Amino acid sequence: MIAGAWLCLWAPLAGTVLILLGGSRIPRRVDGWIGTLSVFVAFAGALWSFFGLHANASHESHYSTAWTWLAAGKLTVPFQIVVDPLSTFMMLVVSGVGGLIVLYSIGYMDGDDEERRYFAYISFFVFSMLLLVEGGNMLLLLVGWGLVGLSSYLLIGFWHERPSAVAAAKKAFIMNAFGDATFALALFVLIAHSNSLEFATSFATASHLSQSTVDLVALGLLGGAAAKSAQIPLHTWLPDAMEGPTPVSALIHAATMVTAGVYLIARTHPIFEDAPTIALVAAGLGAITLLAAGMIALVQTDIKRVIAYSTMSQIGYMFMAVGVGAFSNGMFHLMTHAFFKALLFMTAGLVIHAIADEQDIRKLRGVGAVMPWTKWAFLVGAAALVGIPAFSGFFSKDPILAADLHDHWYGVVFWACGLVGTFLTGLYTFRLYFIVFPGEPSPFVREHHHRHHGKEGPWTMLVPVAVLTVLAAVAGWIQFQPFWEPITHWLSPIIPTEPAAEATNWDDAITSLIAPVIGICGIVVAWMIYGAKQRLAVPSIPWLQNLLEHKFYFDEAYDLAFYKPAVATANLFRRDFEEPVVLTTGPDLGEGTLELGAATRKMQTGLVRTYVFFLGAGMAVLAIVFLLVR
Amino acid sequence: MLGPGVAWYLGIAAFLFATGAFGVLVRRNPLIVLLSLEIMLNGGNLALIAFSRHAANGAGQIFALGVMAVAAAEVCVGLGLVVALHRRRLALDVDELSELRG
Amino acid sequence: MLAISAGGVIVWIVWVAAGFACLASGLAVVSFRNPFYSALALIGNLASLAVLYLLLSAEFVAAAQVLVYAGAVMVMFLFVTAYVGPRQEPPWASGPSWQTLAAVLAAGAIFVEIVVVIGLKAGGRLETSPSVGSVFGSPGWIGRLFLTDHLLSFEITSIVLLVAAVGGVILGSHTRRSTAARADAAGEAG
Repeated sequence: MIAGAWLCLWAPLAGTVLILLGGSRIPRRVDGWIGTLSVFVAFAGALWSFFGLHANASHESHYSTAWTWLAAGKLTVPFQIVVDPLSTFMMLVVSGVGGLIVLYSIGYMDGDDEERRYFAYISFFVFSMLLLVEGGNMLLLLVGWGLVGLSSYLLIGFWHERPSAVAAAKKAFIMNAFGDATFALALFVLIAHSNSLEFATSFATASHLSQSTVDLVALGLLGGAAAKSAQIPLHTWLPDAMEGPTPVSALIHAATMVTAGVYLIARTHPIFEDAPTIALVAAGLGAITLLAAGMIALVQTDIKRVIAYSTMSQIGYMFMAVGVGAFSNGMFHLMTHAFFKALLFMTAGLVIHAIADEQDIRKLRGVGAVMPWTKWAFLVGAAALVGIPAFSGFFSKDPILAADLHDHWYGVVFWACGLVGTFLTGLYTFRLYFIVFPGEPSPFVREHHHRHHGKEGPWTMLVPVAVLTVLAAVAGWIQFQPFWEPITHWLSPIIPTEPAAEATNWDDAITSLIAPVIGICGIVVAWMIYGAKQRLAVPSIPWLQNLLEHKFYFDEAYDLAFYKPAVATANLFRRDFEEPVVLTTGPDLGEGTLELGAATRKMQTGLVRTYVFFLGAGMAVLAIVFLLVR
Repeated sequence: MLGPGVAWYLGIAAFLFATGAFGVLVRRNPLIVLLSLEIMLNGGNLALIAFSRHAANGAGQIFALGVMAVAAAEVCVGLGLVVALHRRRLALDVDELSELRG
Repeated sequence: MLAISAGGVIVWIVWVAAGFACLASGLAVVSFRNPFYSALALIGNLASLAVLYLLLSAEFVAAAQVLVYAGAVMVMFLFVTAYVGPRQEPPWASGPSWQTLAAVLAAGAIFVEIVVVIGLKAGGRLETSPSVGSVFGSPGWIGRLFLTDHLLSFEITSIVLLVAAVGGVILGSHTRRSTAARADAAGEAG
């Protein structure tokens, strides 16, 4: 079981190293398979550790240390992994979905000049994410945290000749770095009060801190989680991150990295339980994000950006869940979301790949006629996303709302937000579907669509989509609150649901009745507006349209608040300090040295007698000095 | 010890050294310069021998023998230089031989 | 200060004679215009120094001085001087220049300092010297010192001599000149 976890961790890294060391000696196709196989081996390791832990009677946490990584004064941080229900759960999701996506990448990135670099990066990303979820102490978690941020930067800016991609990568990295900084500050507070960062010790330390201190720690962790998971106010990087290749969007910005924030809050839940205000803030952020993202998605014209905002919105749900204490509900939604969101991205990728890399939905119309199989796969994913009964989203989203219902007074507010969010989800998702898939293909589509040997895509792309379609359809049946809850039971030793978040049967029933109805209302409205007959026109509210198209002016606000002052300061320093002082000091020093040298050169007369004279004179003077000083 | 004290020998040694230094500084013919150098070395030798006698320590005499050997070696190389200069028809004048200047 | 004995008187007379010869020949070396005469004066200087060494009970060093210095080094000097040919150089060309004046001052300063050190600073330590046995300064005694206490300097000196011999041969050899001549000829022809 422990060996399986280590295998899971090191296999993707081995893949990366192999690809990097092989360089151009390994054919590009083979590199793709190396990457895929390394992640599948990781999945096998995850299965091994999962079943090993399952067979183990007490499902407690098992730690395994490889070596002492850091020993500084009192603080020791070993390189240790933890094998417990939560980590094995995450390992399975990450390596499973990751393996499918890397397989998909073989087909998607075929023909790209720098395929090898891509597969090296993506294997490295899987390794970093596994380090994050398997890290046995806070510091190792932070290491994995930082490394996934790095991989994200490398992969978003993969097509580095595009200035927009480079800018997006920088934006993502900087915002994530802000989150990393708050995370690190929280760790500093913990280190100041204890000399180990293992989970149990950290939680015990936090419980002894004063309320304001533990609030600070929780706030730092929340800052990191919000940045990584693209919650308001640190969300503006996620839509821009769609500049990366579609499999990257599927893996990093849908299934795994952005869910790291949720994982963090779940893992460090004792600290959040000690700081209920911050937990409430987390839930509130989630609620605000899910509404705002849902609204913005209504006006997006890029197929990937719609799905990106949908991701933001769904993670808002997860934050709401872990904020109020329904941890296993949040994790379950994380799992189903990984399935159907990756599916949506991958079907979008199939469309993009087949139709000349076009992503603007105004040009992509009637795609369903030429790509029917993709249409059905997308439909399954959309249904799961909206929460139509029997599809996976239904089983995972509604319990989150139900858990909110009786949680103090604000629970009802969250519940209502969640329901509004469900309406919006139905609306924007099926807006996308009705615009892109049904009807007659547009001239653009007819002209640029090409089949791949008679099929809609290479088998490396079709097989993962098929697998995920099945999972998105039926994976939800694994847990049907309150009837059977194996996932909650599995995770309960590590992340027990808080009492306030226990949903009664009544809560479950009401929510599970109302939420799908509201979702279907959203679908119907979308059909009326965007469907074939266009019974309803889009209401034209110019100020609202502007607000949504500018994404609530967050980008403009940050530009004004941070970017412009920074640029002004940098220019000030360059003009008033760097140029007059630093850049002239160097040449001045050089010239001064040269002048000194020229003056000293005159002493080299070339005449032996002068040299000897100086020798003798010097000796005489020295002798006088010694005689006097004596 | 019979005869003058060690100090008198040291006085002669000092005079020899100063004379040799003067010769090195003033003369232009490299051969004379080398000879003046020999005077200086001999002055040093005399001082060493005198102190060796004064301290009844043999190290001074050993040192003086070493100095003699080194002086011989130096003269060998120096004269080789003079011969080489003469072969190339260069002026045997230390003031003329000043190419190594800054 | 004056030793009142026959042996002492003889020693004093010898010392005065040798000392005077030493100083005079030293001045002669730096004063003659003809390098040949300077070399001969140096031989006189070396001989008087050998006498002084004998007075200081350094018999082996005196013998070595005569053999090596006067015998080998000076002969070499005389050979080279003869080879180079007659050369006259006015030592006091166009009156004492600033260099000569400075040289006089420097040399004078050195002399005065050393005298001051010997006379004033040494205190009374240089007044009397202990008597030494007859073995002091003998060849056997020197040889034993060379091979026991000062073996390293002995060996290194031999290496220095070897290096000097090689250097002398290289400096004096013909090949360089002919290579240069051949190179010039080739340059002009090609």
